[in-house]
Amino acid sequence: MSDTHDWIMEQASLLRDRGETTPRPARDPVNQPQVHTWLEAIGDPNPVYRDTPEATEVHGGPVAPPAMAQVWTMYGLDPHRPADDPLHSMMQVMDEAGFTSVLGTNCDQTYDRYLRPGDHVTVTTRLESVVGPKRTGVGEGYFVTTRSTWRVGDEQVATMLFRVLKYKPGPRSSGPDPSSTVRPARNRDSEFFWEGTAVGELRIQRCNGCGALRHPPGPMCPHCHATDQGHVVSPGRGHVYSYVTHHAPQVPGKQLPLLLAVVELDEGVRMIGELRDGTGSRLEPLSGPDSGAVEIGTPVEVGFERIDDDLTLAVWRVVDGGSA
Amino acid sequence: MSTTAPQVEHQLPPWELPVTTTLVVSTALATRDFQDVHHDRDLAVQRGSKDIFLNILTTTGLVQRYVGEWAGHAALIRACELRLGAPAYPGDTLSFRGTVSEVLQVGVETRQVVDVVGSVSLGDHVTARVTVVLPAGAQA
Amino acid sequence: MSVPFSGAASVAGIGATEFSKESGRSELQLSAEATLAALTDAGLSPGDVDGLVTFTMDNTAEIALARELGMGELRFFSRISYGGGAACATLQQAAMAVATGMADVVVCYRGFNERSGQRFGQVQNWAAGQSNTNGLDNAWSYPSGLSTPAATVAMQARRYMHEYGATSRDFGAVAVADRRHASTNPAAWFHGKPITIEDHQSSRMIADPLRLLDCCQESDGAVAIVVTSTERARDLAAGAVPVLAAAQGSARDQFVMTSYYRDDIGIPEMGVVGRQLWAQSGLGPADIDTAVLYDHFTPYVLMQLEELGFCGPGEAPGFVADGAIELGGRLPVNTHGGQLGEAYIHGMNGINEAVRQLRGTSVNQVEGAAHVVVTAGTGVPTSGLVLGRDG
Ligand SMILES: [Zn+2]
Repeated sequence: MSDTHDWIMEQASLLRDRGETTPRPARDPVNQPQVHTWLEAIGDPNPVYRDTPEATEVHGGPVAPPAMAQVWTMYGLDPHRPADDPLHSMMQVMDEAGFTSVLGTNCDQTYDRYLRPGDHVTVTTRLESVVGPKRTGVGEGYFVTTRSTWRVGDEQVATMLFRVLKYKPGPRSSGPDPSSTVRPARNRDSEFFWEGTAVGELRIQRCNGCGALRHPPGPMCPHCHATDQGHVVSPGRGHVYSYVTHHAPQVPGKQLPLLLAVVELDEGVRMIGELRDGTGSRLEPLSGPDSGAVEIGTPVEVGFERIDDDLTLAVWRVVDGGSA
Repeated sequence: MSTTAPQVEHQLPPWELPVTTTLVVSTALATRDFQDVHHDRDLAVQRGSKDIFLNILTTTGLVQRYVGEWAGHAALIRACELRLGAPAYPGDTLSFRGTVSEVLQVGVETRQVVDVVGSVSLGDHVTARVTVVLPAGAQA
Repeated sequence: MSVPFSGAASVAGIGATEFSKESGRSELQLSAEATLAALTDAGLSPGDVDGLVTFTMDNTAEIALARELGMGELRFFSRISYGGGAACATLQQAAMAVATGMADVVVCYRGFNERSGQRFGQVQNWAAGQSNTNGLDNAWSYPSGLSTPAATVAMQARRYMHEYGATSRDFGAVAVADRRHASTNPAAWFHGKPITIEDHQSSRMIADPLRLLDCCQESDGAVAIVVTSTERARDLAAGAVPVLAAAQGSARDQFVMTSYYRDDIGIPEMGVVGRQLWAQSGLGPADIDTAVLYDHFTPYVLMQLEELGFCGPGEAPGFVADGAIELGGRLPVNTHGGQLGEAYIHGMNGINEAVRQLRGTSVNQVEGAAHVVVTAGTGVPTSGLVLGRDG
C-alpha cells in the first residue's frame, strides 16, 4: 500500500484511539418553536408533536419528532469546531490526502425515548472506522464512519451511526450511453415485472391457485396448472448464487468490467442482475487476489436503476458488512 | 425453481412529494443545516451538482413522516436506518413506497420493520428500514 | 411398431471446406462445397440425395442448397433448434429417416461465415428482440448485460468452482489438450501452435473466471455429412461408420444458456443424452476409445465428462489432470483440436473427426479406436452420438 494510505490509516487510528469527545451541549433546550419550524417545513401532521389532546394521551404532553435528535446539536452557522471533533478532523486528513469530495452514504439512528420541551441534550461522537481505499462509481475513496450519542444528563436518548464517502472525483469518462441498453422483450405474461421495477418494486409471480412463487414468470403454473397468476412484492433480499466479471466484448449501455450475478432471493427464486456496491454505485473489481468484495453467498439487496421511461432494471447491492 | 409463499407483504400506500426549491431551503433551515449546497444554487453548481439538493436530516424526517402517517399518531419510532443514493433536486418528484418486511417481538413490544424506498428520476434517493412500535390492539 | 435403430444407419461420407477467419465466399457456396466434398467422399452424386438436415440457425435453405448442387426431388428435410445443440441431432434426424425408410441418402450440413460475418461471441441483440418465447427468456438476462455466450458459461463455471474446488488451471487442461491436438492437424487453424498451461493462465480475462484461451475460436467454414443405410454404405467408396446411438436431451426447467433457476445448475441435459446413448448402444463409458466433446468453453468439457459418466460429479478436474485427455492418455478428447484448436463449425467438424478415427484416418489416430462418443452444444438443449467401427 502507498505512503498516503498508510498515513491516512495512521491518522484514523490516532483519532479512533481518542474515543468519545467530551459532551457538547445543544445551543437550546428542546423547544416547541423549533419543533414547529420543523413540522412546517417537513409537513408532518402528527398531533403528538403539538400541544394537543393526542399528545397528552400518548406522551403526557407534546414531544419532539425523533428525527430531530441531531437538529438540537447542529453547529449552525458557527464556523468553529471543537478541536476534538473526530469527523471534522478526519475530513481534514482526507482533504490533505487529496480526497476532497464528500458524499453521505448511511445514517442509522436509534431512539431510546422521545424528547420533550425542556430536555437539554448533549452529544458525544467517536470515530468508529475508516475503510478504504474503495473504487466507487464516483471515484476512489474511503468510508468514514462515526457514532454519536445524545444524552439528557446521564440518560442516553438517541444514537447515530453516520457514514460518508470521502473521495477523489474520478475522471468523468464519456462512458457508455445507457439508452443503448438492450431492451427486454415483454408480453402480457411478464409485463407486471417491468411495471414493478418502474415503481421501485421487485415483483415475484405468485400462483393464485397454489401460492407457488416463480421467476422467470409464465402464464401457467407448472405445479397446479392454474392460469390465474398474481404477484408479491419482494423485500428484495438474498445472496449471490454465482457471479461473473464481464471484461469483453463491449456490452451496449454498460461500463466494463461489469459484475453480474445470479441472486438467490430469500423467497427461493433466482434472478440475474448487475452487482453494485452498498451505495448503489458501480462495483469496480479491484485487481489482485484480494479483489473479492463479492463471493458466492455474499448478501445483497435489490436496488433499481432507471434507464428511461420505458425501462428500469433491478440491480443488486452488496449489503455492506459495515465497519471493518 | 419455486417455493411456497411466505405471508403476503403488507404494503404502505405510496406517497409522491414534489421536490421544490422552497422544500429544499425551508427544510435545510428547519434542520439548522446551513451548508451552501442546500440553499445556494450557484455554489451548488460550482461544486459539481446540478442544483441544490435535499439534506440528509430532511430525508430522515420525510421517511419518518411517511411511516408515521401510515402507523398513526400513537406509534413510536425506535430506529431508522438510511442508505443514501441519488440526490433529490428541485423539479423532481420523490416517490415513497413501503413494505412491512418483519415483525419482531422485543420484550413486551411488537416492532414492525418497514422497508422504505424513496426514489427520484435518477434512481433511489433513499433506502430505509424504520422500526416502529404500534400501540397494543392497533393493527396496521 | 418399433424399428431397430442402433446400427441401422451409417455415415457414408464426410466433407468440409477449409477453416478460416474470412472465407471470401457466401455461406451458400461454403455449404455447397462441403456437401459436394462429402458426396464425393461417399462415392455418391447430388442426384442420390433425397433428404437434407441442418440447424434452425443456418442461413442456407435446404432448397437453395439443392438448387446449387442440381439435386432432384427431396422427400425429407428437417431443422434442429438451439444453436450448437443441434449438431449431433442432425445425424439423429438423418439416421431415423434412413432407418424408417423415409429417405435413402440424407446430407447433414452446416456452413457459416461466423468470423467474417455475424460473430456469435458478440452481444446478440437480435436474440433479446425475438418475438417468441426465446426472446422473452432473454429478457431476464440481456438487459442487465449478461448477453454473451462466454459470460453465461462463466456464471456456471464459477458455481462449479465453488461446489467442487475446481480451478482455472483445471479448465486450462482442456485448452492445452485441444491445442496440442490441433498443433499436429494441418486442417486446424492453430496448426503448429500448441500452448502451455502458463500460456492459458496468462491469457486475458474475458468473463472472469473464463480467460481468452478457455473460449473457442470464431471461424468461417462448412461441414457436411452423408448418412445412408449401413447396408448401402458398406458398398460405397468409404465404407460404413454405423450410428450406434443418437439422442437429444433437454432437462427440467431448461433455458438457452441461462438454466440458472433449477435447484442444481450445470448441464443435466447432457445426462439425459448420455443415458440414452448408453442404453441404445449397449455400451458404457469404459467402452469408449476417444471422445469428441463440444468445447465452445472449457468448463463444459469437464462437466460433460461427469454427465456422461466418465467420472463422478466434481471428479473431472482429477480426470483431466496429467494429460489424461491428450493423445496417449486414458481418454483422448478432441483429437482434431476441437473448436478451440481446429475450428468452430458449431460442433459438426467434431463429427467428421469421429468418423476419421473409426476409419483409422485421423492425423492423431487413437490406435484401434472402435467406439467414439460425440456431443453437441452445451448449456442448451443438446444431442449426442455414439459412432462405431463397422464389423
Ligand atoms: Zn399453482
